[in-house]
Order: sequence, then C-alpha cells, then structure tokens
Amino acid sequence: MTREQITAAVAALTVVGMARSAWFHFVAEPRHDVMRTPIDPRYDELRPFLPRSGQLGYVSDEGVATGAPGRDLDLLGSRRFDQAQYALAPLVLRYDDQGAALVIADLRDPERLQEILREKGLVVVAHPTPGVALLRRR
Amino acid sequence: MMLLAVAAIAASGAGLVGAAFRERPGDGVDRALRLCLGSALGLGTWSAAYACSRMLGVSSAAKDWALLALGLCSFAAASRRRSAPVPSSREPAPRWLWFLLAAACAVAAAAFFEHNRRFPDGGWDAWMIWNMRARFLERTSDLRTAFSSGLSFRAHADYPWLVPGAVAQAVVLAGRERIVSEAVAAAFGILATAIVPLSLARVHGARWGLLGASAVVSVPSFAIFTSNQQADVPLAVFLSSAAALIALAYSRPERPLGMLALAGFAAGLGAWTKNEGSLYAACLGAGLLWRARDLRATLAFASGAVPAGILLLAFKLTLAPPNDLTYFSTPALLLAHALDPLRWGDLLVRLFRRIVFFQSFGLWLFAEAVVVAFVIRRLPSTPVGAALLLASAGLMLLYVLQPHSLDWIVRTSVDRLVIQLWPTAVLVTLPELARTTART
Repeated sequence: MTREQITAAVAALTVVGMARSAWFHFVAEPRHDVMRTPIDPRYDELRPFLPRSGQLGYVSDEGVATGAPGRDLDLLGSRRFDQAQYALAPLVLRYDDQGAALVIADLRDPERLQEILREKGLVVVAHPTPGVALLRRR
Repeated sequence: MMLLAVAAIAASGAGLVGAAFRERPGDGVDRALRLCLGSALGLGTWSAAYACSRMLGVSSAAKDWALLALGLCSFAAASRRRSAPVPSSREPAPRWLWFLLAAACAVAAAAFFEHNRRFPDGGWDAWMIWNMRARFLERTSDLRTAFSSGLSFRAHADYPWLVPGAVAQAVVLAGRERIVSEAVAAAFGILATAIVPLSLARVHGARWGLLGASAVVSVPSFAIFTSNQQADVPLAVFLSSAAALIALAYSRPERPLGMLALAGFAAGLGAWTKNEGSLYAACLGAGLLWRARDLRATLAFASGAVPAGILLLAFKLTLAPPNDLTYFSTPALLLAHALDPLRWGDLLVRLFRRIVFFQSFGLWLFAEAVVVAFVIRRLPSTPVGAALLLASAGLMLLYVLQPHSLDWIVRTSVDRLVIQLWPTAVLVTLPELARTTART
C-alpha cells in the first residue's frame, strides 16, 4: 500500500466514525432516549435529618441485588439503591439490614410506605419527600 | 490553595518530563508532546501523592508544597545539562487532513457536551464508582468509611483511586462538583487524543500524527466514555503515555534509560487508575524483555513503576475490601473454567462479534483486524506491540477464569477494554503501516 492509499483509508474510516457519532448523538438519541434527571435532588430534603456519618439501613418496594454483580444489576431497585448511596455518601447504606437503628425508605410507589412500616416493624422519623423517608425501629 | 495545586501539578509534570528528556525541545511537536506528557503525569502524580498523604495523615497543602519543591528541583537540574535538540521527522501532511481532524474533533466535542447534558451525573461507572468514591474522600476524613466492606460490590471499593483523588481534590478547591468532574474527564479525553498522535508525529512525521489523532477521536464510543467520566480514558492516557515513551526511547540509538523509567512511572499511574492497569504495566515490562532483550531497559522501566506499585500494594493490603472476582472465585471454579473448551469458544465468538460492533467502534476494530491479519501478518516486533499482544491474551484468560456470567461480563466490560487499549493499538499499528509504505 502507498501512504496515499493508507491516508485515504484512514480518512474514510474517520468519516464513518464521525457520521455514526453525529447520527447517534444528534438524531437517534434525542428522538428515542430520555434526558436523565440529576440524582441528588430526590434526597436533598432528607439530608437535614440524617447523621453525618455511619451506616444506615435501606428498604425499598423493589428488589435490590446484594450478591455478585450480574444480570440483576439491571433491576430498577438496584439502580435506585446505588443512586441513593451515591447521593448520601459518606453514609454507608445497608440493604434490609435488620440491625440498623435508622433506616432509609426509598420507594418507587410512595403509597406502599405504610405496608413497609408494618412489615418491617418501623416508624417514621421524617418523611420530607414522597417515596423517601427516614425510619427507625419501633 | 488553588494556585498552589496548579503549580504542584505543573512543577511535578515538568520535573518528570525534564528528567527524562535530556535534550532541548526540537520543535513545536516536541514541545506539545512534552506539555501533554507533563500534564498527564503531573495530574496523575498530584492524585497519587494525595492518596499517600491521606493514608499517612499528611495535609494536602504540605503535599502540594513538597510536589512543587521536588518538581522545581528536578526541572532546574535537568535544565542545566541539556544537549542539542533531536529534530522531529519532517514528513508533511496534506492540508485536507488537518480539516478532517478538525471536523472529527468538533463532532467529538459536540457529542461530549450533548452526552453531558443528557447524563448530568455521568455514566453508570461515574456515579456508582468513581465520583461516589470522590464524594467519600471529599466528605469524610475516615478512609475506612470510603473503602468500607459494607458497601455494595457494585461500588467496587477495591479499585485504586487516581480519578476519585483528582476529582475530590478539585472539588475541595473549586467547588461545583459537576463542572469539576466533567472538566477532569475532558482533560483526560484531550490528553488521550493528543499524546499518541504527537508521539507519532515526532517519530514518523505530521501525516502519521494526524492519522493517529483521527483514529482515536473518531471512534464513536470515545466521546461517550470521556463524557461518562469513566476511568477507562485516564487509564488509556497513562498506558499510551508509557507506550509512547517506550516507542520514543526505541526510536533513538542510545535508548535513554530515563525515558524508560518515566514510561514505567506512567504505567504505574495506570495501575493506580484501574486494576487492569497492573496487567498492562506487567505486559509492558514483559514486552520490553521479550522484544528488546535488554535487561537494563526492563529494570529501568520497572524502577519507574515502583512508587505507584508501593502505593497500590499499601492500599490493597490495608484498606481495600475483597475484589468481587476473587471473592466469588474458588480454586475448583477457576480450574473448571480454565479447562472448559465451550467457555473459550463462547468467549471467542463474543469477541469476534464485538469487532464488527458498529455502534461503538464504527469500522475501526474491523479495519484493525484486517490490517493485523492481512497487512502486518507477523508477531509484533516492538516492545509495545508485544505488550499489547500479551495484554490481550491476559484479558482473555481473565474473562474465562472470572466467576460471573460470560455474557454479562463481556457485554458490560469489553468496550471499556477497547477504549483503554485503542490509542496504544494506534501507536503500534500506524508505524507498521508506515514501514510497509517505505518498502513500496
């Protein structure tokens, strides 16, 4: 191959790559994908009620994967748990920890709070946002 | 404090590069290459020194003063014994290639900003691992909390923390967490695009530099990974810096040991960026030994990797919780996986399918496979080429041995590995092509 042929081939590959990027970011994604909302605001109202550090329990009305990473990463509950952990660092959240004195409830369906309180033997400490509450053992 | 931090980064980068490059800068390409290498290594050193200071209980300001002093001393000492410049290769590039690269950079930059807008907290890895760790580092003085075994395995608290260390420090200094983490990601993206092309331009001429830059920046997933604030792009920067320094050293008859030691230092920073970085550092050392058959060069490289190696070892032995790959593995499972021909076959099929995965890579991986199979047609002759081959073999072995579902782990990780290795693959492939044109 001559250097001109190599240059032309690399240029063609570059154009293909650019076209793919432009199509994806400026045509396909705006049409078919949603804008993500920032993670932090969901937990902002809860912060004043939380300790500055330590471990807290975490309960949800969705499944949260606790074992080895795998397909269950795709569970929406796992994603919500991970996002809560990100938002509330440096607190360490423990899913369904029966021994935790304080527990965060993070619910997809806010109507299920009473059911979870009954099931887990918890009472509300603060409930600043629909679906997000700080609980303690009864 | 902000000025002190910037001065510490600049001085440590200048000191490291000054110590390795014994001659005066030859031209603009040489200056730009040194600037980019110095920026990458300075930023990495600043973060690695932060980790040391946190683990030893030293204040961040004292660490920055120490970096500033050491960097200035090293730079001043190097400036006194500079030899005559080594000129860059003079092969020019067609003008239209500059316009093509400018267009590719513009598309990648626009994609970066669009993706940032769509994903305000970055990609999954950013908020699940890297920026979460940065928040722990920034918000608590207790390192045991930041690396608590109580955290989910998905948080990967065992990962080294070069990127979180840089982001955490920058957030403390500048506030505005979102902009800071995006700026750190953008800086590494620019360096990943610049270092290999400048190194190619230095040794082979402007044409090959521009082709290299186009080959890195127009990979569709490159802008996405940069915007996602994943550590794969910083790892690509340190791996390609190490590779570029080795390639530069071997382009000179005297094989300067200082340059090889700096390559080892860069590879060590890669090991402090992600776990895969340790494999790449080992493969670069092995590649040197295999292809250069030069023990002094290999030892110089290894000595450069020692500081980050000690830091990584200290972290893994004192703070890091178990890695999920080792935690869920047993000797029986490892043996069963290693001896399972179906698992090897399954892996090969999945990897071949990824080569033609247009969404992530356009036609770049396919073209690379065609060039290796039909144009180069031999085992790599350079230390960096050998290192890439060894790294690919090592990654395949890890894929087979690891305890998770092969489908899941390949699907979620192989694009990252390609992004980590791609600039270095470009650095190896284009000179091989340049050599074929020299014969025609």
